[in-house]
Amino acid sequence: MPTVTYIEHDGTEHRVELPAGWTLMQGATLNGINGIEGECGGSCGCATCHVYVDESFLDKLDPPSETEAEMLECTSSPRQANSRLGCQIKAMPELDGIVVRLPETQS
Amino acid sequence: MFRFDPYSPAIDADPFPYYRTLRDDYPCFWCEEAGMWVYSRYADIVTALNDWQIYSSAKGNLVDELPNRAGNTLGTTDPPRHDRLRALIQKAVTKRALEHLIAPTEAFCNKHLDTLAGEKVFDFVGDYSSKVTVDLLFHLFAMPEEGRDLVRDKAVLMVQTDPATRKKSPEHIAAYEWMADFAANLVAERKKNPGEDLLSNFITAEIDGEQLKDREIQLTVTTLIMAGIESLSGFMSVMGLNLADHADARRALALDPSLIPDAMEESLRFNTSAQRFRRCLTRDVEAHGQLMKAGDFVMLAYGAGNRDERQFENPDIFDIARKPRGHLGFGGGVHACLGTSIARMACKIAFEELLKRYPDFTRVQEHLPWVPSSNFRSPMRLDLAVG
Repeated sequence: MPTVTYIEHDGTEHRVELPAGWTLMQGATLNGINGIEGECGGSCGCATCHVYVDESFLDKLDPPSETEAEMLECTSSPRQANSRLGCQIKAMPELDGIVVRLPETQS
Repeated sequence: MFRFDPYSPAIDADPFPYYRTLRDDYPCFWCEEAGMWVYSRYADIVTALNDWQIYSSAKGNLVDELPNRAGNTLGTTDPPRHDRLRALIQKAVTKRALEHLIAPTEAFCNKHLDTLAGEKVFDFVGDYSSKVTVDLLFHLFAMPEEGRDLVRDKAVLMVQTDPATRKKSPEHIAAYEWMADFAANLVAERKKNPGEDLLSNFITAEIDGEQLKDREIQLTVTTLIMAGIESLSGFMSVMGLNLADHADARRALALDPSLIPDAMEESLRFNTSAQRFRRCLTRDVEAHGQLMKAGDFVMLAYGAGNRDERQFENPDIFDIARKPRGHLGFGGGVHACLGTSIARMACKIAFEELLKRYPDFTRVQEHLPWVPSSNFRSPMRLDLAVG
């Protein structure tokens, strides 16, 4: 199972294993990681699963869809070049070891 | 032998003991009555919701699908077309885009609560939740004033199934067709005089330079009306029931209304009105020792996944402090409910206003009349005694 490391805004690290195909948003909500809300349930309909993806993994991700790009304009914490929505990133074997940092606020 | 009949009034009233047996003993169950497999464990449902390529919605998402609907609505279209259709509406229904609805919703709630002044007993569904949701939807879609009760009646009928024949009855289909005609007229009118409302934007939208298909617009609007009225009212009614049944929780919310949002999430987990939806397999899948074939349907029992102790501790306890993130009360994945922000906003206001006037209420009926439906679960009438 791919491993994902979430680093909360206060520096707390959580290393969790996710079933392949589950999203980074689900990985956080299901493991009690508070820095991600996931209010819309994973339909790319809010921006409360905002993450900053470690630069070394950015190339391995598909670029954001049009909807994701629009939603990223609505993030509560500042959008950066490595901002993505956790519900749009599925934990696949090639992303094993991915590190994401969580913003200060989600809503 | 164990049976699970999603058409049975016993399941409408209390599906939860059956769900437990499904999860523990038959996690991939062939349901003869519905002619489809059933997933009941949280992890299996989430996996299916994530994997739209294998668990397709294009053959319909209702356990008993309505004629001509599959492939023509958001919920019955797979990506990438689904994502483009949804993007047309999504932005208009985000939390921030809905702030203009707060004051009108408060006014609708108070208008209907005013009419109850002096009553000792009222029907939460007929007198309150359905009235507020109809007002809100008509406002949101800028729909004509007349015909509210009729639209509501048809929305309630079209989600039902017949417990005897185990399918939609002619009356249910007729209600759906009535609603589809109503939507077609609304769309035709709006095409002539488009405004700034959500419907007009959807109707006039294009995808990749192409106008949406008429049937796609008509049936998506039909579904939005159905969901906006019936599903939203169902969500509120179940929450009302939970607060009637859990006096400590209700008193806590009346004392501190800031607890209402967490209580709503727990209500969505505990007994969401969206109990069961379906997907169709695009290839053979083996699960829990069963071989399911491409073309088979799989029922995703959200209501069962939400009570899965593999995911939620003490799942049969209604605990407003639980914060049950990741619950399946609105489904999940690409097809997660479009109206989550509207539903949360409206439900929160409805209970803020209700609890201001009635911090105490109790259930009158011992046995509730439940909506007969293979998909949804909410009381058709909920008499509450107040004061």
